[in-house]
This record gives sequence, structure tokens and C-alpha cells, in this order.
Amino acid sequence: MLGKGVVGGGGGTKAPKPSFVSYVRPEVILRLHPVGVLPEDLLCLPPGEQLLCEASTVLKCVQEDSCQRGVYGRLVCTDFKIAFLGDSDPALDSDETQFKNKVIGENDITLHCVDQIYGVFDEKKKPLFGQLKKYPEKLIIHCKDLRVLHFCLRFTKEEEVKRIVSGIIHHTQTPKLLKRLFLFSYASAAQNHTASDPRNHTVMFDTLQDWCWELERTKGSMKYKAVSVNEGYKICDRLPAYFVVPTPLPEEDIQRFQGHGIPIWCWSCHNGSALMKMSALPKEQDDSALQVQRSFLDGVYKTVHRPPYEIVKTEDLSSNFVPLQEIQTAYCKFKQLFLIGNSSEFWDTDIKWFSLLESSSWLDVIRRCLKKAIEISECLEAQNMNVLLLEENASDLCCLLSSLVQVMMDPHCRTRTGFQSLIQKEWVMGGHCFLDRCNHLRQSDKEEVPVFLLFLDCVWQLVHQHPPAFEFTETYLTVLSDSLYIPIFSTFFFNSPHQKDTNMGRESPDAQSKPLTLLTVWDWSVQFEPKAQTLLRNPLYVEKPKLDKSQRKGMRFKHQRQLSLPLTQSKSSPKKGFFREETDHLIKNLLGKRISKFINSSDEFPDSFREFYENWHSKPVDYHGLLLPHIEGPEIKVWAQRYLRWIPEAQIVGGGRVATMGKLLEMMEEVQSLQEKINERHRGAEALPAGAPCLPRNSARLSSLFPFALLQRPSSKPVLPTSSWKALGDEDDLAKREDEFVDLGDV
Amino acid sequence: MLWRSRGRKGSLSGPKSARANRMPEPRTRQFGSCLTSGYLPEAGRSGGGVSGLSRVQLLRPGSQLKFIPEEIVIYGRDFRLLKVGFEAGGLEPQAFQVTVAIVQARAQSSQTQQYRAVTLSTAGQASGSRKPPIPLLETSEDWETELKQQGATGWRVSTVNERFDVATSLSCYFWVPNGVLDSAVRRVFDHFHQGRGPRLSWHHPGGSDLLRCGGFYTTSDPNKEDIRAMESMLQAGHSEVVLVDTVDEMPSLADIQLAHLKLRALCLHDSSVADDKWLSALEGTRWLDFVRSCLRKASDVSVLVTSRDRSVVLQERGDRDFNGLFSSLVQLLVAPEARTLFGFQSLVQREWVAAGHPFLTRLGETGATEEAPVFLLFLDCVWQLLQQFPAEFEFSEFFLLALHDSVRVPDTLTFLRNTPWERAKKSRQFNSYTQVYTPGYSQTPAGNSINLQLSVWDWNLRYSNEQILQFHNPCYDPEHHPDAWCPRQQLSFMAPGPPSSLWLFSRGALTPLNQLCPWQDSPSLLAVSSRWLPRLAVSSENLADQEWGLPSHWGACPLPPGLLLPGYLGPQIRLWRRCYLRGRPEVQTSGSALTVAGLQDELSCLQELLRKWTPRISPGDQCKKKDPNAILSPTH
Repeated sequence: MLGKGVVGGGGGTKAPKPSFVSYVRPEVILRLHPVGVLPEDLLCLPPGEQLLCEASTVLKCVQEDSCQRGVYGRLVCTDFKIAFLGDSDPALDSDETQFKNKVIGENDITLHCVDQIYGVFDEKKKPLFGQLKKYPEKLIIHCKDLRVLHFCLRFTKEEEVKRIVSGIIHHTQTPKLLKRLFLFSYASAAQNHTASDPRNHTVMFDTLQDWCWELERTKGSMKYKAVSVNEGYKICDRLPAYFVVPTPLPEEDIQRFQGHGIPIWCWSCHNGSALMKMSALPKEQDDSALQVQRSFLDGVYKTVHRPPYEIVKTEDLSSNFVPLQEIQTAYCKFKQLFLIGNSSEFWDTDIKWFSLLESSSWLDVIRRCLKKAIEISECLEAQNMNVLLLEENASDLCCLLSSLVQVMMDPHCRTRTGFQSLIQKEWVMGGHCFLDRCNHLRQSDKEEVPVFLLFLDCVWQLVHQHPPAFEFTETYLTVLSDSLYIPIFSTFFFNSPHQKDTNMGRESPDAQSKPLTLLTVWDWSVQFEPKAQTLLRNPLYVEKPKLDKSQRKGMRFKHQRQLSLPLTQSKSSPKKGFFREETDHLIKNLLGKRISKFINSSDEFPDSFREFYENWHSKPVDYHGLLLPHIEGPEIKVWAQRYLRWIPEAQIVGGGRVATMGKLLEMMEEVQSLQEKINERHRGAEALPAGAPCLPRNSARLSSLFPFALLQRPSSKPVLPTSSWKALGDEDDLAKREDEFVDLGDV
Repeated sequence: MLWRSRGRKGSLSGPKSARANRMPEPRTRQFGSCLTSGYLPEAGRSGGGVSGLSRVQLLRPGSQLKFIPEEIVIYGRDFRLLKVGFEAGGLEPQAFQVTVAIVQARAQSSQTQQYRAVTLSTAGQASGSRKPPIPLLETSEDWETELKQQGATGWRVSTVNERFDVATSLSCYFWVPNGVLDSAVRRVFDHFHQGRGPRLSWHHPGGSDLLRCGGFYTTSDPNKEDIRAMESMLQAGHSEVVLVDTVDEMPSLADIQLAHLKLRALCLHDSSVADDKWLSALEGTRWLDFVRSCLRKASDVSVLVTSRDRSVVLQERGDRDFNGLFSSLVQLLVAPEARTLFGFQSLVQREWVAAGHPFLTRLGETGATEEAPVFLLFLDCVWQLLQQFPAEFEFSEFFLLALHDSVRVPDTLTFLRNTPWERAKKSRQFNSYTQVYTPGYSQTPAGNSINLQLSVWDWNLRYSNEQILQFHNPCYDPEHHPDAWCPRQQLSFMAPGPPSSLWLFSRGALTPLNQLCPWQDSPSLLAVSSRWLPRLAVSSENLADQEWGLPSHWGACPLPPGLLLPGYLGPQIRLWRRCYLRGRPEVQTSGSALTVAGLQDELSCLQELLRKWTPRISPGDQCKKKDPNAILSPTH
């Protein structure tokens, strides 16, 4: 019913017939590209960037249909990005340009953002890699942010084609050394450029104070301590210089297995129970070594199990949870649904859209993550138990789940700085291998698993379901996911804090030069103008109501009392046996004899989960308390903004969430000014005009893809190019259009 | 019986799990009336949920109750799920009686309901003889006013069907071109299926006209003069005519019905589908697929209407289902005034109610086989538009929900008759009927009996003022594109069509036609089937015409003011959760719309506060105080 027939000749099945008006005439082409006279300043390179190769007279195609039109320009490859510089840059609305990314232009692809490169040879699309014997007439670049760019090289000189194609392939696909990252050349070139945001309150967790502060904030300092045994990475490279462990844990235990096998604190719940993570001990064959490990773990558990500590429940994520491999395959299938070259492909997939989506099982992976996080929060919140996450290196799913749990349980993590601090704490300092997982160095495709993206998608589900609970918007998450591939920020370009510190040039021979200062992603002013940053802030965020002091005192008192009477645990008596058994199981697990599903073996578990989940959802939502997502089938959705934003067909002019945003901001502004007026009456003073942010209005209707939609501008055809134009013989109109759009007939 | 069981309802222990979420449910009193007149329950099921010994019995009309129920679960045809628990002890006998009464009521109603009296009299007394909130288009004045508002100067109101002798399924009045005499109208309409000849639906301020008509009645034998009149009616003064076959590429009525049944099964009986299989189950219903086809076609037709000065004729054999769907969808997309509360209601009144959509048959109240919820499909399409353009519609999702639920509530005649003729007949009969029994009505003169007629648009029959306030979309922003509010000026982008060109729009492409009507040159053609297949002109332009653009080609070029082009890609079509999934406990209302409403409340609260302090504040600053009556009346 929705077959290609409706698409008409635009469908991919038919090649465009020569009978159709061809917009190309030789003189047009000549007029369009005065070869080689491009002003150099069009290409504004950031500091440290070097031009590697370039090709002129490249046609950037509009991908939306088979009759190929596009814009001529220069394709450039630098050590930072692949850029396309159109000869006739369409003048954008000034309103729109201020929402542009300052680092990455609309036609720029950073080298790390390139996912796949295809070449078209005689109408056939083939992936390109290695040495090429034949050079394609068209280059299709799939990006990791799901853009698909088509570059037609038909009119380019042959040697230029060779240079640019092999250059692009070489620089994007061959393994790289860490030292060759653009990050370093940028940092050394931009040394004197101090981009420090004074209002950036993100806690970086690179000092002992940061950890102490976090302990204070979560009131975990009674039972946990920040340690500095790993200062200078003496114990191991994997762990950050400072971290937090249970207070009675002796420091030599930490050193014993280089940080393996010890519980590391992540976060404390308001009721005193805590979330911890632990990396598994190395697998040993030798019996005596096993014995040593067993007694070591016994010792560790004794300290953690003794009061005042709560009962520990262990979640073994390496054996009882989604394997990384599955995440990878799910995402690969999922992203294919959006990496679509032309509209006819989209029509073909449309009719089976839901089953395709389901078969990718990406949404199911998200659901399982959210479900696990709810289970963990149930243990912490309702059962008052400590939860210990266990994983091989405690740096993938541990990061995902612990940060997800914190987003759900800790309202501080739902503010922007809180969320950034959380990522800093759990992912950056937690040693998530961003370099390997994003495959930034192209060293191993196997290691590439979008764990962090999965986390962002899980958070998006929460943001989507409970918008007023978050200070940031989905645009923030989208922009953050894009920043993963911009190699001027250090945040996502190291495998561990150790790797970062050793590569900062501290021990470089020319010691007289200052250590490199690397930018962090959290300095959003590097990427966006202040106006654009308003899009990252949720205007509907409900700020925490200020408690008056008496209330606060009461709370603290209650908390302390709970701590001082640790034996009055509500849950202790029926579970005494569970205690001993669990450590046993745990030890077995750790020693490699994985006993699967022992956690789910207890029958009451799913029931208490269900009850907790339903109970929470039956009450009105407290945006500053525990926040649980819905995980039923219809509730897990596609992060449309991230995945659909480059698809011109998905554009809804004048629609989408942006349409209400304008109204919303206007009303916020009005409320604000009224409030000021009222305050002014109180004070009897002059009021200042409120400078509230506002979106561009009235000039043109924004589209649902905003702020990403402006990138679609040049890729659209003139108004209704139907036969009627021709029937009309409206020459004037055609002539006008020839300036911008070129039809290539049968390319 | 009616009153008895309604009285008993008070002694129920109250809904246990029908959670009070923030969507406007009809008042309890009215809900009782739904129950007793049997429109609500598809099947009642009762079982002991509390005791753990769960015995479940499915109750159909005529089935015997086997035990005393502890809980009744009523699955509504409108996707509502009502669970009523009886308090243990003391209430058992009543529980039994009530359940039996419900089953009986349902059984009775399904036998006799076709022309059953409607229960509107109690509400009707209070309202007296006042103007209906929406012109019901039952007088020629209504049509004249509407025509004037549209600025369609080349058109007039024809009274030829005043006594329903041209077509019973047509309204008394409709719009025809100025130049065509009533006698010609009568003759031309004879050659259309069920006498539904070409009439104006909507006049675009830029010049185009949107027409609708039934299929050509091919066994008739019109003479040359008739054909000429017919052509001039279709052409309506334009040089270009595009015939749109509205059934083309659309699902059949049976498909729609099946999809709706499947959707209902999926949404109400939630436990059967695992969470990870939900999406394919949803796809399996095909409902969203049908929604998508409707949106796509409507978007194409709206481009046809706006891009050139032409006459666009929607043609469907019966002219009562898809023609209504598309003419109203197209108007929603093209005309900003149709997106106001008032405009939308009069749109539905005109294109569905007055145009004779067979509501009774399609919604299955008669037990006929031609049941197909075309109107509900339309509402779903409108909801999709509302999702995609949250700032463009004056009404909210709640209004659509209320309309969705009203379709089966038997208190007004709006949706309970198949044709305007039946409605007119019934209302006259009904009025005389009530005059006998209710003393209040005896004073009213028989002359304004039409004004006594209540319609579904009298929302305060079923909804409280707070609920009616929620019909208003807080995000609505008509100043969004200011030029849309002075739409009467000639739009410059419309080029005049080429001299008398005829096109057929089907399968997303324009194909040139040699002739408009099937009879012109060869009378032998009459033998073809009732659904006339146009002969395509063989022309070199043919292929190029398939290039007829997808609306996405408008891209970022400025759209004509007021035109909305909906997205209809797979990921953009969503499930109307608040409607279809409200039987599920986990579906909660949330989302920005409500928060915007909250913000608006805060705003008006602050303004109120400020006004108290400063009496001299200029009245222009102040927001209009919201008042349910003001909302439902034309404000612009």
C-alpha cells in the first residue's frame, strides 16, 4: 500500500529519464565554479590543524532522490576533519547561525566521526578500505552521528580524486597512535588560548577534595573514606589517583591485587546504603593461588559485612547481564535503520518499520538496562541493602548501571553540573575505555561497543518520560553524544585517567614547557554561543524547593540516628542465612566458576521488584526524589532527535517540539518579568528589563529538526518541481533555480 | 430498567483501579448512562481478584452469571477499561443483581438500539432554546454565512435538496457554482452514485477549490447538455481540474475494521504480548500503517490545492467515507482557521455529519457488516498532526479524546444517525414526542424545533467546566505565522493553470486525462463497471509527470503561509497512547503540554496578583480570562 509506487519516479527503481528537464548546461557548470580562485580564508582552521589534501569541483549531492542535484565546492581533508566548502554558501538566517556549532561546521566531519566510507563504481556501492586500484565516481560517507554525505567526484581531476580518496581512507581507517591524535597538536598550538569558563562547576574528581566533597554531599563519609594510595598511579593504571573505599579496609588490601577484588564506593543513598563496584580478581588455575584469593576475599567481605554496613547484594554484570557483544550487534543493526542514502530506501523500510526496529533489539537492550537499574535502586531504597556491582574491569556495564542508578535516585545528578560530574566520576575517572569503545584509534573493531551511547539513550528515555525532572534537554544529550567524536576535548579521548596524565607531556623532554592544558567537553562555550546554550537548558525544569532550616535539621538528625543504631535494620532477621551463602557464591564467581543466575534464584526477588515498580508508578511523581522509568513495551522509544535529525524527509516544517519551545520561553519570560514587577513593588525600586533567552521567531518557521535542521537548507529542491512548471513553460523560474541547483541526469 | 440500575450504581464500592489520571473522563452520572444503554461494554468479565481464587467468567449478552462476582471488569469499545470491585460481605446480592442488570441491558440494547430513543431529554430541558455552539448547517443561513467566511465568490447555496429528493444522504443545502441552475444541478446529480454530485468543500483564499463528489453513475445515459453542465460543475471556473481518487491506495473498510479490532485486542488485553514483542504486535495491527497512508495522501492533496489555481475534485464511489476524511484532513493542513476549536468542530459538522457519513453503520451500532471506524481513523490522523505541530492547533489532545469518546454516547443525535435525512426526521419526531411527556417543552413553539436540537458540541452535557478548559491547547500560538491570519488576500505564488488541462491524481502522481466524464465520446463505454477507470492519455509527458514532487521537496523553501506538511515516515507515526492505552494501569499522563498549562496558570495567577495591586494596569496586557464558553465560541 505504501509501496514505491507512490514515490513515483523519485523512487530508486527507475533511473531518471533524460526527458526530464536537465538543469545542467555546460555554461552553467563553468559559471558555477571559477576553478582555483577560492579565497583561502573560507577554510578557517582551528589552531594546530593542518591541511592534508584537497580536491576541487566536488559536487555535494542532495541525497533525497535519485535525480542528483547538489552544490559544487572543495573537499578538504585535514588532520582534524573532512570538510566541504561550498562555492556558493547559501546565506543562512542570522537567527539560525547563532545556534551553530562553532567547532564543527555543517559540512564538517571529524575524522573520528567517520563510520564507513563507500564508493560508487558504475552504480554499485562498495565499502572502501586499504589500497584502491580503481577510484570511485562517488564517495558516500556514513558518520557516527548518523549523517550520510554524498560527494560526487565526476567533475574532479583524476589526480585530485586519487589524492583525496586515498587521503580520506588513510586518515580515517588506518590504526593511529595515541600521540597522533589531533588533541595534542590542538592543545600545543592553542597553549596560550585560555578557555576557562568561570561558571563551570563540574566536579572533575581529580583531587582528593572532590571525592571528600562527594562523600559529604551523599553523607557517606561516616562509613567510607577517600584514599590516595594510588597517587601517581603507584598501585595500578586502571584506577584513578583518588577513590573511595569502606573505612575499615586496610590499604595493603588495595595493593594486594592491584585494586582488583576490593569494593570501590560509587554513591551513598539517603538511607545509608551504598552502591559499590568491584573488578574481578584475575583468573588463576593454580590451587594455592585460588586459596589465597579465597581467603583475601573472605577478609574483604568480613570487613564490609560487619555493621554498620548493610547486607551486600552482588550483581555480577559479566555473567548475568547483557553481554557487550550483544550491545554492539544491536546498535549496528539499529543504526542501519537510519543510515539511509535516499528516500526510496526509506519508503521500503517504512512499512516494516516496527518489526525492523524490534529485530534490532536495541530498544530491548535499553529496557534491560533500565530494568536492572530499577532492581538495583529497589535494593538500595526499599530493602536497604548495599549493592556491589561486579565486572571484569568494572569499567563498562558498571559505569552504565551505577550512573543510571544515580540519575534515577539522586536529584543532583539530574542537574546539568550534577550530570556532568557524574559522567566525570563514573565514566572518565571510572576508567571507561573511551578510546577503545569508540574505536578512536581504529585499532580494533571488536572493541568498539557503544556503552556510553547506550547510557545516554537510557537517560534520554528518562528525560523523555519525565521532562520536568531534568535541568538539561534532549538536545543537550544529543550534543553530548556528538562531542564524543570531537578530538579537541580530552574528556572522551583516553582510556583511563592514568593514560591521560602520562600523555599530557608532564614527563616530556622539553620540561620547560608547561604541561598541556586540554579542554573539557563541559566547557560548552567552546562549541556554542551563549544563545545556543539556552537550547541545552530545560525551561520546564522544576527547581528544588528550598527547605527551611528546621526541616533540614530534622532530616539530618534522623539520618544520624539511623547510623548510630545500625543493628535496628529492618530486614536483617529473615536474611541471616543469605549472608553467608552469598559470600560463598561470590567467591565461587570470582574464582571463575561462574554460577549463573544465583541472584534470580531467590523467588521473592521479581515480586518485590514488581511491587516496588508498581507502587512507585501509582504515586504522583516527586521530581526531586526517586525517579523510575516506565519500561513497558510502548514506553521505550526511539531517540528521534538524535537518530532522525539528518533525514530531510523527517523534517516537519513549523512543527516538532521546537514549535512549543518558543511559546514556552515567551511565557517563562513573562512570568519572570511579572515576578520582577511584583518584587519591585515590594522593594519600590526600578526593575531591570528581563533578558530572558528567546528563540528566533516570526522570521521563518523553524523545523522539527532544529537546531540541526539548518544543515538541510542547501539540500532541498525548489518549490514543487512538478510537471506543472514545465507545462507552464515558466522559464524565469527555471533560470532562477539554476544558480543553486544542478541536475546531473544519469550520474 | 434504565433508572433502576443507575440507582444501583451508587451502591457500588467505587472504582478500584480506574485511576484518576488527568484526562477528562465524562462525569460519572453520564458514564452510568453509557453503561445502561449498552454502548460501553464489549464484554464484561467478572472474577475474584482479591481472594486469590480467581474464577473468571466472560459475560456476553444473554449469558448466565455462574457465581457472585467480586469484581467486574468492563472492556469499553472506546478503549476504556473499568474495574469495579464489590466490598466483601453485605453487598453480594447487589453485586449479583448489578452484574446481571448490566448484562441484560447490553443484551437489550444490542437488539433494539438502532432507532432507540436517546437519553438526552434530561439534559435538554435545562438548555432551553438557545443557539447551538456550532452552526449545525441545518439552515440555509448557516451555509450562506460559512460560504461568506470562506470568501468563495463564485459559489452559491443550492436549495435543491431541501426535501431530500435529490439524495437522502446529502444535506438540505450545499454549495454549487454560481452559473449552474438548480434544474441543472438536479440533472447532473442524477448521474452520480446515490445522487451525490460535485459540491464545494472548501475554497482556498488563493483561488483553488476543493470539491467532493461520488462516483459517476455509469449506467445512466446523460445527454450532451448534461455532460456540459457536469463538466462546468467539476471545473468550477478553473482551467485546471485534478480528479483525486480517494480510495486509491487506501485500505478497504474491512481492513480498517480488522485493524481497529486488532488494535483494541492488543491494547486492552495487555498481558498477552511480551514487552519486547510489542512493536511487531503493533505493526501487525496495521492501524498505524493506515494512519500513515491517510496522512501521506492528505499531504499530497494539500500540496495540489495550494500549489496552483485549480479545482481539486475528491472522488469516491460512495462519497461518504474517505472523501470526508481527506477533505477534512486537507483543510486542517491548509486552513489555519480549521485548526481552531470552533473551526474544527464546524469542519466535522460539515464534512462528516452534514455530508452524511454513515456513523451508525460504520461504528457498528446497527450490527451491519459495513462496520469500519473511519471517523476514528480520522481522529487518529488529527492526533498525529497535533503531535507534530503542537503550536498550530487551538484544541488539545483532550478535546480529541472527548470527541473520540462521544462517538458512542447516545445523548445526542450527531453521531447516531446515518444521514442528514434520518437526523432531520428523527429530531422532528423526537421533539413532538417530548412535547407530550415533558411539560417544559409544551410552551416552546414548534417553529424553532431545530434549535432545541442538542448536538455533540454541547460539551457541557457531558463534561465539567474544568474539563472543557482542558480542551484548549496551551501551546497554541496563532501569531506564529502572522500572515496566516489575514488569509483573504490573493496569494502570489499561485499561477493560473494551463488552458483546460485535466489530470488524475493517483499513486502519488499526476496523469493527464483526455476527458473528465466517462461518457463523452463513446457511449459504449457505459458498459464498464461501476467504478470507472479513466483512460490515460498517452503522452510523452507521462513519465515526467511522475516526477510530481513529494511534499518533502518543499524542503526549507518558505512554505505558503498556513500550510502544514505532516511527516509520515515510519518513526514519525506514533501510537495515541492516551487513547488506546488508557486501560493500562501504567499509562500516566505526562508531557510538556501539561506543564505549559501549569505555567499558564502561574502566569494568570501572577497577573491577577498584579492587577490587585495596580488597578491602572492597561487592559491590553492582561491575558483573556479563560472561560469555557468563550473558548467554544469563535474568538477570531
